[in-house]
Parts: sequence; structure tokens; C-alpha cells
Amino acid sequence: MIGDIRPRVRYQKYRQMAHTADAAYRLRGESLAEIYVNAAQALMATITDRRRLRARETKDISVEAPDREALLVAWLNHLLYLYDVDGFLGRDFEILELQDERLQARAWGEVFDPERHEGKNAVKAATYHHLEITRWDHGWQATVILDL
Amino acid sequence: MAVKLRQVDEYRWELPREGKMRTRGLVYASKEMLAKIQEDRSLEQVANVATMPGIVGASLAMPDIHWGYGFPIGGVAAFDLDEGVVSPGGVGYDINCGVRLLRTNLERPQVSGRMDELVNALFANIPSGVGSRRKDLKLTMPTLKQVLRLGGAWAVKQGYGEVSDLEHIEARGQIEGADPDLVSQFALDRGKDQLGTLGSGNHFVEIGYVTEIFDESLARALGLFLNQVAVIVHTGSRGLGHQVCDDYIKVMLKATGKYGIELPDRQLCCAPITSPEGQQYLAAMAAAANFAFANRQLITHWVRESFEQVLHLGPRDLGLELIYDVAHNIAKIENHQVNGASRKLCVHRKGATRAYPPGHPETPAAYKETGQPVLIPGDMGRYSFVLVGTETALTETFGSTCHGAGREMSRAQAVKVSRGRNIVEEMAKKGIVVRGAGRGTIAEEISEAYKDVENVVNVAHGAGISKKVAKLKPLGVIKG
Repeated sequence: MIGDIRPRVRYQKYRQMAHTADAAYRLRGESLAEIYVNAAQALMATITDRRRLRARETKDISVEAPDREALLVAWLNHLLYLYDVDGFLGRDFEILELQDERLQARAWGEVFDPERHEGKNAVKAATYHHLEITRWDHGWQATVILDL
Repeated sequence: MAVKLRQVDEYRWELPREGKMRTRGLVYASKEMLAKIQEDRSLEQVANVATMPGIVGASLAMPDIHWGYGFPIGGVAAFDLDEGVVSPGGVGYDINCGVRLLRTNLERPQVSGRMDELVNALFANIPSGVGSRRKDLKLTMPTLKQVLRLGGAWAVKQGYGEVSDLEHIEARGQIEGADPDLVSQFALDRGKDQLGTLGSGNHFVEIGYVTEIFDESLARALGLFLNQVAVIVHTGSRGLGHQVCDDYIKVMLKATGKYGIELPDRQLCCAPITSPEGQQYLAAMAAAANFAFANRQLITHWVRESFEQVLHLGPRDLGLELIYDVAHNIAKIENHQVNGASRKLCVHRKGATRAYPPGHPETPAAYKETGQPVLIPGDMGRYSFVLVGTETALTETFGSTCHGAGREMSRAQAVKVSRGRNIVEEMAKKGIVVRGAGRGTIAEEISEAYKDVENVVNVAHGAGISKKVAKLKPLGVIKG
């Protein structure tokens, strides 16, 4: 035996939970910043097949909200805004600065092209319903429901 | 929270007033449906709405009730203008999502060989699906603001449809008091290229035919006959409306604290109707509602064009006239009789349709004898219903009834169930041509994923809050 060959137990960055009308996600991350990144990935995965997105454009994003939960909703809804206005979908995200009431981030992605990208679901908004960010194990866990 | 229920009669169930509830809850459902309703927490939401300040009458739930955000979908709640509140959650993200029905002079055999062409023409002429936008209709900000002020009338003025169409739209396609300056730049940006687009999800344009008439004289008065071809349009205010809702939820989250309103769920966030926040939301919501009326009016124009292109018939031969257009996600200032006195109320309908009786001042002249037409779409494989409003609805539910089938399966479940199946082909075997922008959407919208709309409509009819007129079956559908 050469050491322990068991793979390290991985957590799922985002997982869809059963919900009749819409898409509910359980997000996990080692840091709070990772929660915001994983939420963005979950949103993108709802709209399209993320694997087909290329990092061709960069967007700098800054959002504010009264608390960290509301900040999660504001962040996702800002990404939806960019999508509606420019057709922009992010492939990769980096949180540059994070406070409870303010987030600065950079997104790399491209404009949705119906020829190349699969249109899965249109998302109306991220909602405050059952919205929650809590400590989990050594990291963080969040729940967010998207209205489709 | 366990919700107590008391059966009133075959179709009515009461949630007795208790705890912080200011009034009782009243649910319209059959015994069979109730078991399903109790699986989610929508009844708790009916009780939550009953705790809100200034609520008048019961916290109501229509037979298609299901779990929503704060307010249940299928919820109706009226509030006193002085004491009451207005809540964006009581309207929903898709402000003035609604349905319109167009009749034709055509009978089913006249289109049955042409359905592929008709559906393709609709699909080509009406942008649909994720991120749909119009390349040929980019609005400047001043024009967009005109749309928000004038609604359906703006579209007609631009040549999209006839002046007579406006007579057949709820509120004549224009909610009063709309103020585009209270709509954020974010919302305006999102709406700019989306006027005249269908969007995604459960939105559709459907060509169907009248398969059953329940009331011959009402059907005739509405211009409907057996085997007649008709078109249903279901869409709303697109990204503009979603952004208005999101913007004002943020405003209301603060307002709730500012005005010391105690709520059991933060998605019920609201402000007094008389407050600046309340007034601003109503004016912004009205603007978004007008955008939706204009949206459905533009789509109607392209439906007419599509039929003319494919069938080479003129407007007179086609007879594609608007029967009616109803909103099912809206809050409106309306006059209602409460304990024998006339009162102005703010009626929230979230997944509920207005259903005014014959002779009501708001019922259009053409329907003074019949009552206001009510349009209840079903899923894409089954059927839809045309009903009319009743006096019972006016006295019991502030003139409201159900709005649709409601989902039975989650979208993910529906996709799982349809895996390995060719849904488009299955539908074709049933005689229904389907085109959708996204394969995912079609899988999610399979019939099994929805409750049978007939059960919902039968409760509304049985309880007397609307009256069945006709049933329509689909022949061709475009989905977002």
C-alpha cells in the first residue's frame, strides 16, 4: 500500500434541490467568496450549458445590499441584468473584494449565441424566499431559489 | 405550522382566523385537490397573507393554488386604500403576465394540413426562448417611456393592430397612473430590446380549435363555435417587469421596517398604500403592466401577419379578432362592495384572473350580457378553457378566479421523466406541432408535469366564481 489512495471527499459546489415551480440551489464553499462564485455558476448552468461558454470578454461588477444574503440576490440579479441587456453569460468568476454589504467581482464569459449555446431556462430573478447563508462544516452553505 | 382547515361546502375550505391573522383564509378546492395542495406550504402562505395590515375580506386562494414567494400562486388579497399595504410579492416577478385569445373565421380542416407552415411562421416572426430579443424593434428611451405610459394604445398607434382591439383588453390595455420615471434605468435597459418577444418558460403562442362548447349562447356571444380555430398568447412584461419587481422588493424590505410592519415572511415585504414607497411601486408596476399589454399586442400583430403569409387570406377572411386579454399577475385599484358599502381597494391577484360579471362597468360593452371572458391556459398537450366572470366572483373573491393548471412535477423531474423520449414526436402523434427555442423547455413543459386544468376549472365553475363556456385543444404551439 502506498499511502491512502482514497480520493479526498469533495463537496458539491451547487446542487439543485426538489422544488415544483422553480430552481432551488444548495450552494457550498470553503469561503464566503466561493459561495458567491458557486451561486453565479449555478445561475449560468440554469440558463445554458456552461461548458460551452468561452472566456472572451471581461466584465467588472460591483453590487451593494443591506446584508450578505441580500447581497447574494443582488449579485445574481445583476448577472441576469447583464444577460438581458448584453446577452453576456459568465464562464469564470472571481470575487475581488467582499464585505457583507458590498461585492466587487470580475466575470469572464461571452455573449449568448443561439447557434452555439443551448438555451435551457430563462430565469426571471433570484428571490429572497428561503434565502440563507450559514456556516457549514469548515466552510459555508447557502440556499437560493431562482424564479423561472 | 399546521394549518387548520374547516370544510364550508363542496368547493370551499376555511382557514379559521387564529394567532396573528387579521382575517380568515378561504380556499377554493375539491377534496381530491386539497390533498395535493397540502403537500406544499401554500396554505401556510394563505394564513401569512391574512396577517397583513388593512386586509379586507378573506385571504383567498383559487383552486390552482401552489407554493409561491411569500404570497401563494393563486392568491387574491384586497387591501383598504388608507389602512392597507401593497406588496410586490403579491403580484410576482412577471408583472402582468397574462393571456389573450384571438378568434378566427377558420375551421379546423382549413388549417390541419398547414400546421407545420403556420407554426414555423409564428416561430420566425415572434422571437422566443432564452434571451429572445428583437433585432428589428430597438426602442429609444423616450419611445420606451411612451410604451410604459400608453401600453396597448401605443402599439395600436404604431399600426400594430386595430383600435377595436383595445376595447377587448383588461383596463383597455393601459393601467392608469403609470410613471416611467419611477422605473429604474436597469429595468428600462432590460426591456429595451424585449418588446414583442415571447420569452421562455411556460410562455407560448398556441393555435387551437374549439373542441367542446359548454354554453351555446355564451359561446355565440363571444364569437366562438365548434371546430373553430383560435389562437392563445401567453406572456408578460419580460425582463423589465422582473427588474421592477426586484427593485421594489428591495425598497419594500426597507419600508417594512420603516413603517413597523410585522410580517411572518420577508417575501411579503410591503408598504402602506398611502406611503411614498407604496405609491411609487404602484406607478412603476402600472408601467410594467403597460409594457406587457403592448408586448401581447405586438405579438398579436405578428400572429395575424403569420396567418396572412401562410394562408394567403386577408384580415376579413381570417377574422383574427381579439376576444379578450386578461392579466393574471397584477395589483389594481378597484371599486368593490364590502358589507353593503362601495369601497376602493387595492386587489392583488397573483396567479389569479379577474372575472367580472355581466353588466359590470369594467366589463367591455361587447360582453355586458355575458360577463367578462376569462382565459385559462392548460399545458401544451391537453386543453385550455374559456370562461366568463360571475356575480358570485364579484361578491366572494373581489371578482377573481383561477389562472391555469399549476405544476405537478418540478422542472428537473419533468426533464428526468422525458429523458430518452422525443417529446416533439410524441406531440406530433397526438396531432400537435411543437416548436421551441430550447429543447429543455419542451421537456419541462410535458403534460404529465402539470395538473389537469379541467379539475381546476371545474372547481371554479362548481363554486360559481366563473362559468365554463368552451374548451380548446391545441394544434400547434411555439414555446420559448
